Amino acid sequence: MTPETKPYKRDIIIEVTTNLMFPLTLLFGLYIMMGTGGTGGGFQGGTILATAFILYITVFGHVKGREKMPESINALFKSLGLFLYNGAGWICVLFSLAAAQWLNMPAFWPVTDYLGVAGSRSFLVSYMVSIGIGLTVMAAFVSQYFDLAWKEEDEMESGQR
Amino acid sequence: MIPRQMKTLTLFGLITAILLTAVSLYAIEDLPAFGDENSPVNKQIELFSVDADGLVDSLNAGVLPAEIKTRIEEMGFIPGPTCQGCQNENYPSLEEGNYEIEYIQEGTWLGGRVYTKGGWDVSILEGEIYYNEPQQYFFINESDGKLIVYRYNWPVRVTERTEEETAMINAVTSGLADYRGYDTMGEETVILTGAIGVILLVRRRGRL
Repeated sequence: MTPETKPYKRDIIIEVTTNLMFPLTLLFGLYIMMGTGGTGGGFQGGTILATAFILYITVFGHVKGREKMPESINALFKSLGLFLYNGAGWICVLFSLAAAQWLNMPAFWPVTDYLGVAGSRSFLVSYMVSIGIGLTVMAAFVSQYFDLAWKEEDEMESGQR
Repeated sequence: MIPRQMKTLTLFGLITAILLTAVSLYAIEDLPAFGDENSPVNKQIELFSVDADGLVDSLNAGVLPAEIKTRIEEMGFIPGPTCQGCQNENYPSLEEGNYEIEYIQEGTWLGGRVYTKGGWDVSILEGEIYYNEPQQYFFINESDGKLIVYRYNWPVRVTERTEEETAMINAVTSGLADYRGYDTMGEETVILTGAIGVILLVRRRGRL
């Protein structure tokens, strides 16, 4: 189903505004998501990233939205976020040898030699963990919206509504 | 053991599950025991040390020596004559009658932790405005002729040691994934599980 055969008319103003807003929203989401001195965190940043895609799907439909966010990448992000978070923890557990020192105590994690104990904890929390949370939250919300949009269209086609 | 028709992917998943189980068992065995004094909630903060001569008798008599009291006031923790900027702090002052000193033997189980070294416990008495229940305030340990003063309290560690321990200005950010890392991991897992549940419900043809 191409965008031209939609049951509703295209609106050039909404489409141009969406094209302008889409990258800016992604950038804002990344800004919220990362950094130690920031106000936000992974959950909020991931939600803002998801709103960018949700706006895109609302305006252009889920077929064109799939080109921006393919299902394979969505499924990958969903689990990759959790793997980043837990992977950081497992690496800490394995490298600290004889004590499960994940995040609560100084961990001998491989970058400790370069960043120092405190610096490596900061790196873990602000980048690995926050990006992990953000990816999972974004992919979860986007996948739910995709599913709802697809379900609606599917029911419209089969004449159940 | 493994059926012949088992696919490569299933075998890979089985190996991953076995490896993860092994690592989990290793981690569980290594986690700090309940009441461990080095676990983040129970860890004491070392403040300073003073010479012990003559002060031990005073501590045994239940009076905090003026030397220790002045040093604590200078560090800005409690309101007192030598700390001008902290008159509005909510921490109870160490005037006589506000606290209680008790000697704790080595190996005692008290307040959710095991004392691996004996020492004097300075507690806030019941009835204080901001700290209604009696609770531990400072801990003083004697070793090699020195009195080492420690400080209790989990919020104190967050507010005073966050920047040093995690290199972060923002104490809330560090609390999210550092001190309370397991909590956040569970929250993220809940979101992933919810998304998988929605996928299983919605992605099938026909009516539910």
